[in-house]
Amino acid sequence: MNSFHSFCLLAALTGSMLAQGVNPDLLLKPPADSWPGYHGDYSGQRHSRLTQITQQNVAQMGLAWAYQTGQIQQIKCSPLLVDGVLYITVPDNVYAVDARSGHQLWHYTYPPNKGFHIGSRGVSMYKEWLYFMTPDAHLICLNASDGTVRWNIVVADSQKGYWTTMSPLVVNNHVIVGVSGDFDNLSGFLKSIDPETGQTQWRWDSTPPVGTPGATSGGMTWMTGTYDPALHLIYWGTGNPTPVLTGTNRLGDDLYTCSIVALNPDTGKLAWSFQPSPHDTHDWDAVETPVLVDADFHGKPRKMLMQTSRNGYFFVLDRITGESLLTTTFGPTNWALGVDKRGRPIPNPEKEPAPDGRLIAPNEGGMTNYRSPSFDAKTGLFIVDAHPGYGIYFAKPADGTFGWAGADYDVWSKGVLDAIDYQTGKIRWTHELGANGSGAGVLTTDSGIIFTGDSTGNVLALRTSDGKTLWHAGAGGQMQSSPISYELDGRQYILTSAGGVLFAWALPVR
Amino acid sequence: MRALVIAGMLGGFSLLPGQTAKPTAAMLASGGSQFIQQCAFCHGRDAGGGEDGPDLTRSKLVAEDIGGDKVAPVIRNGRPEKGMPPFALPESEIAALVAFIHDRKTTAESQKGGRRGVDVADLQTGNAEAGKQYFTGAGRCATCHSPTGDLKGVATRLEGLKLEMQMLYPRDVKAKVTVTLPSGETLSGELAYQDEFTIGMRDSSKRYRSWPARQVKYTVDAPAEVHAALLAKYTDADIHNLMAYLQTLR
Repeated sequence: MNSFHSFCLLAALTGSMLAQGVNPDLLLKPPADSWPGYHGDYSGQRHSRLTQITQQNVAQMGLAWAYQTGQIQQIKCSPLLVDGVLYITVPDNVYAVDARSGHQLWHYTYPPNKGFHIGSRGVSMYKEWLYFMTPDAHLICLNASDGTVRWNIVVADSQKGYWTTMSPLVVNNHVIVGVSGDFDNLSGFLKSIDPETGQTQWRWDSTPPVGTPGATSGGMTWMTGTYDPALHLIYWGTGNPTPVLTGTNRLGDDLYTCSIVALNPDTGKLAWSFQPSPHDTHDWDAVETPVLVDADFHGKPRKMLMQTSRNGYFFVLDRITGESLLTTTFGPTNWALGVDKRGRPIPNPEKEPAPDGRLIAPNEGGMTNYRSPSFDAKTGLFIVDAHPGYGIYFAKPADGTFGWAGADYDVWSKGVLDAIDYQTGKIRWTHELGANGSGAGVLTTDSGIIFTGDSTGNVLALRTSDGKTLWHAGAGGQMQSSPISYELDGRQYILTSAGGVLFAWALPVR
Repeated sequence: MRALVIAGMLGGFSLLPGQTAKPTAAMLASGGSQFIQQCAFCHGRDAGGGEDGPDLTRSKLVAEDIGGDKVAPVIRNGRPEKGMPPFALPESEIAALVAFIHDRKTTAESQKGGRRGVDVADLQTGNAEAGKQYFTGAGRCATCHSPTGDLKGVATRLEGLKLEMQMLYPRDVKAKVTVTLPSGETLSGELAYQDEFTIGMRDSSKRYRSWPARQVKYTVDAPAEVHAALLAKYTDADIHNLMAYLQTLR
């Protein structure tokens, strides 16, 4: 070994020995060998700077390894990668897996409980500790080295109808958690938890207290928000109001349900809000990733927030003020009369659920849902898994004003990948993904490639500029998660999942 | 009848469709716990319908089920085409789930009023004459359908929401595919699989065959897609009027 190689080895070892979990600075600029938060970085762009896998060589990409959870529950998490170890989850289960080989290091199992086991979006990390949310709305702090429990706190009362699925957002010494629960008339909220002690630092409620006359409930906070360190604001989407399909006892806009809110992460104080769906009666949560982009908008540099919302609208906001810059649809919608001066769709009262049914586009699953979109700065394209579709919505007085309070049925839908020009909202290209939709999240890379999945279980690599297919592989089931990418030992990996299996794709080792 | 006898023998007494052997309290508790964890998000905590799954207390499948003979296979295999995943659960847990679903159905049927769901009576707001005009006119339904042909007596076969859903999008109608091989040979059959890369069909002898999509020429005839294209054109009144008209076809 010559001295140069010794130096490199020493540097590599020192580097890995110095890696000590997730310090707040790491989250501000994640290194290529990490994916330390739900969205990777704080922007929510789900864009990788890695370029080893190119449009020219991606056709040679193959399987590096696969990891099987052995669970019937599907992987719906975004894997976390820190210090060469991947952390993945399904409800009640956390796994630590070697990112080089795919072998398991440890497996943590949460005791049986009666919460909804519908999905787990992954863990988050602060220093050497992992934060995991459970179906019965607890937050568990685990030791990342061996999966042992440090503490377990109750975030919300699952007996009342709350459950949790989300991956917390870590900002400095705040672990910010949200909740689910629209089967009952409950208020959504965010809590900031002390990462060391589990104590609540602040709480922000989406709605007035339940039971306030004429006021809505709901506004669940079930997806991970984003963060702008310069403005020191977190951005979070809130869910639908309750009762879900009936608005008769909650007239007006129903703030802050179906809203995007900007909060101070130290205090939970509201800076501004914008409401994608005023007075929603179709279950269209506005929790889809609030993607943060700094770029020109119509010739002027802007700090923007973009969301493809479940209600079928694409929004571009100024994220300093919450002012609307652009509102447009990204597929068939028929529920709004137009857009108001503040950029909000105006709901058509004739399209509220009715005793004899109303045909509504999009359907209840929405034009898109929780899986991540991606923003590619080079092309200015916002790439989203979209589901053009129709549903039929019913509600009658006998359905009451609690919980669902109506019924709705999916009539027809399909899946497409849409590439939206953020300056105009125009769809530059569309790639068909199959009947009933795919549900896969989207990753873009600096080499101009999109990674996503179709409705029949193919993993796809597409060219970002025009959506042309460059590579595919059948994975045996739909991807219900959002891909990530990382580089270890000079090799770029793309991580996807299908069913209970995690797949790592890479170029052949020469 | 055979299934009925076997189920009856297993249960120690005869069961009628929709019935199940009287479950123990422990079985219902176990089924209820499993239902909350795995099923309730889509089907509702009381099995009366949830986020996007049907109301099981009004389900035809549950009504016709005898001791799990129809419901258990659906739990085990899922209905991937409708978005329901399979659940690889032990037989005892599936039996407990089935018992819980039947128990919820019995409870729901004993409740008076205040029930969520769509009744046949809810879907009677349309005008049959206007529906007939839409059928033969703007809707161009008569291009493919005939009230004295395929739709003769349709209202005796389907009613209420089932009829309306079938009218809006008949998802069980199979598409046909014609494949031309590089040799020039042409094959036709039922479309069995299609994605960007592979085309699959069942020929007249029900044999499955598939080809790389790029190596053959193929055309798909999917009659149901005409219904999908209509969804953007209907007013709600058109739908209600069409329903009124279809309900006259007895």
